[in-house]
Amino acid sequence: MRYGIFVAALLVAPAVGVAQPPAGASEALEKVCGACHSVETVTGQRRTRAEWQESINAMVARGAEGTDAEFALILDYLTTQYGPTAAPAAPAAGRGGRGPAFSPGPADKQVVDEAAANRGRKVYAAECITCHGTHARGSERGADLVRSEIVLHDRYGSTLGPFLKKGHPTQTTPAAQLTGAQIVDLSHTIHQEVYNTLRAALQIQNVVTGDPQAGAAYFNGAGKCSTCHSAAGDMAHIASRMDAPELQQRFLFPGGRGGGRGRGGAATAAKPVMVTVTPASSAAIAGSAITGTLVHIDDFNVALRDGAGEYHSFKRTPALKVVKSDPAQAHHELLDQYTDRNIHDIVAYLETMK
Amino acid sequence: MKTLGTFLIASAALMAQGGLNPARLGAPPTDTWPTYNGDYSGRRYSTLSKINQSNINSLTLAWVYRANGAPGGGGGFGGRISATPVEVNGVLYFTMPDHAWAVDARTGREVWHYAWTSHGGDHIGNRGAGVYGNWLYFETPDCNLVSLNLKDGKERWHKPICDLDQYYFGSMAPLVVKNHIITGVSGDDLDRPGYIESHDPETGDLQWRWYTVPQKMGDAGSESWPSEEAMKHGGGMTWLTPTYDPELNMIYVPTGNPQPVIAGKARPGANLFTASVVALNPDTGKMQWYFQSSPHDTHDWDATQTPVLFDGEINGQKRKLVAQASRNGYFFVLDRATGKNLASAEYVKINWSKGVDAKGSPIPNPAKEPQLDGALVSPNQGGGTNWPPPTYDPDTGLFYVSASRAFSVYYIYDPSDKPEGWGGNDRGGWGETMIQAIDYKTGKVKWSHKWEDGGRSGLLSTAGKLLFAGDGSGNLVALDPANGNPLWHANLGSSVTNGPITYELDGTQYLVVAAGDTLFGFAMLR
Repeated sequence: MRYGIFVAALLVAPAVGVAQPPAGASEALEKVCGACHSVETVTGQRRTRAEWQESINAMVARGAEGTDAEFALILDYLTTQYGPTAAPAAPAAGRGGRGPAFSPGPADKQVVDEAAANRGRKVYAAECITCHGTHARGSERGADLVRSEIVLHDRYGSTLGPFLKKGHPTQTTPAAQLTGAQIVDLSHTIHQEVYNTLRAALQIQNVVTGDPQAGAAYFNGAGKCSTCHSAAGDMAHIASRMDAPELQQRFLFPGGRGGGRGRGGAATAAKPVMVTVTPASSAAIAGSAITGTLVHIDDFNVALRDGAGEYHSFKRTPALKVVKSDPAQAHHELLDQYTDRNIHDIVAYLETMK
Repeated sequence: MKTLGTFLIASAALMAQGGLNPARLGAPPTDTWPTYNGDYSGRRYSTLSKINQSNINSLTLAWVYRANGAPGGGGGFGGRISATPVEVNGVLYFTMPDHAWAVDARTGREVWHYAWTSHGGDHIGNRGAGVYGNWLYFETPDCNLVSLNLKDGKERWHKPICDLDQYYFGSMAPLVVKNHIITGVSGDDLDRPGYIESHDPETGDLQWRWYTVPQKMGDAGSESWPSEEAMKHGGGMTWLTPTYDPELNMIYVPTGNPQPVIAGKARPGANLFTASVVALNPDTGKMQWYFQSSPHDTHDWDATQTPVLFDGEINGQKRKLVAQASRNGYFFVLDRATGKNLASAEYVKINWSKGVDAKGSPIPNPAKEPQLDGALVSPNQGGGTNWPPPTYDPDTGLFYVSASRAFSVYYIYDPSDKPEGWGGNDRGGWGETMIQAIDYKTGKVKWSHKWEDGGRSGLLSTAGKLLFAGDGSGNLVALDPANGNPLWHANLGSSVTNGPITYELDGTQYLVVAAGDTLFGFAMLR
């Protein structure tokens, strides 16, 4: 799949009137992603929105730090600037030919031609599959080709060709009968299996394994979900708005980070974290508490935007009272309480809300 | 003794040439920071105290060096400096993938810059350089060990250390021990065996290689694998610079997670010697002992966190210790002569273990292995901590680590009997980060300082009663090592991306830290 996208990126001319990057997005990319790896690791890729979301999820899981707003900006930026139809990335000096995200491998690695790989699959099915298996991972009768150094060193048949020409004990067709073109096709097929073994080729299988009735009981009982949510209210048709894997991630980790944003971003945006700051009674704006959306907080400063849209920034001192209010706090606390069974029961229950 | 005598004579000869006297590698760093961790112990503790609690508010920015777009730098490297610079004779040497720099340690002015023409590899980061005599050594993403002349950055030679076609890459800061340049390999994409090598400092020739996984049935550790096929593809990459005890003549090598990384169905067993701390003889590469931090890991929790060496007292007995805050959320204390476990304790709350076995290794709960429909696990794949270096402060007796309490859901994507590569992953989630101060005698967390806005940096402690760290908002922060109270901060505009270092030159103590593509030099100029 990835290679289909990669090839498409090379063949399709850049769309006319490429979307402008969202303001501040490249800075967010540099800050959040650049904190752990070079940004060009990312921008050498061409992916769909869903695939970029998957990459971001994987990075959050590996410790990427950013605000929800930053992750949303990065997703929009990567989708508009590095989508499947964007112009191919100019290879960085001395590099190029980048493969799947975060698995660059050698610069001269084989670029799989999907048509050739499909042709090669017929040769593979006739000649190789009995011993080397459907996905070239070997069997009791034949070696694992995905792990074969002959394959990993191969480029378009360069090592595979000479190896097959020599013939090996179980080779059914005499080596001389495999044409050069067939060997190249076979090389594409096997390399495709190697690339599918690298990261992110597969997806979540099925998360709807729980008991919807037990899920309803947890929703209305121990989980206290019904304190804020109802099946007829905000949860109505939730299972039509996002698929089951997204649903599972979303209630565990509300806020879109790692949870995805549902199909086409139709899911409701997470509510922002609020903060109330009360200056010391001797201060110029004494005593009056200011509440607003939390913009920034660290050990030394706090900033918020109030209901009128005004920005306020404060130096944190022992006299300054700061009270944060995270609407998802109950969700965070549940992480210590759920069993995996509870989680799957809730998903099964939410899945009934089509 | 004869060896030592020869070694000292060789050292004196090297020093006469104006390079690094290898004997300095064993001493606490003062006017130099000659190796990744400052010294062999991995403590990242400095005896310098000109910068201290009483004057920290006078600490001044002395210089800035921007590696991205610097004169002669070529520009546009992207990314960040995760290298810990080394400082020798007043010059700082640091790296980014494919690049090495020499910068004046007093002024931040560039002395030279070296650019390697890459043939690929993962450019995720480079941890720094090693120095031996007049020569610098660093690894490239495309699997080369490069030796440069310290004086002008001219290349002397380069030698292959791994095979790029097998998706290995280079990122570790080489360790110099006597006449050995120790190199490690990185890479988690295809299922390959990890190893660590020693190279001749003059020629780069291979002296020995030690595989982190057994190579044939019957070898030590093979009883923990189902087949030769599984163990020869069993991972255990050597991402991080080892530490070294010259008296015991042992290097302490932290090893990576087993492979296939998440989908471990075809590798039942403990999978030795992955996710372990292993003591090797640096002259022969022979294993002396091992301790496994994560038996049969299926969460990408490598044990490539610095094994920190210090001497201490446990139950009234003086001991030579090695301690590790491991990625899986456990803190371990071992006797570093024998590998005997003395303490195992969670430094963040976790949910995947059923306790520890008789040897002190955690017992993974099979229900918290990745599942087809997902298992909620803490810590997440990023771990309770990660590669950023911790510090041990002998003045407080506390071990400090940048920690994370995070949750994610681990999935199996490939339901087959022989998953390979990444047949699963985790998604999510939610977490918070903090500095944990751990009492090594008990493994208990003495104090915890939670960051408001994330943050995970390398750490440094000093005799000035200061603990340096970076928060998630771009602040370099000095904390009180006794209780975690923030004492001073400076916003660098980008989060700290390496481990801070300190050194004294001409009576001035400097503090150097990287944030993004920029190196900042602070100094007590008054």
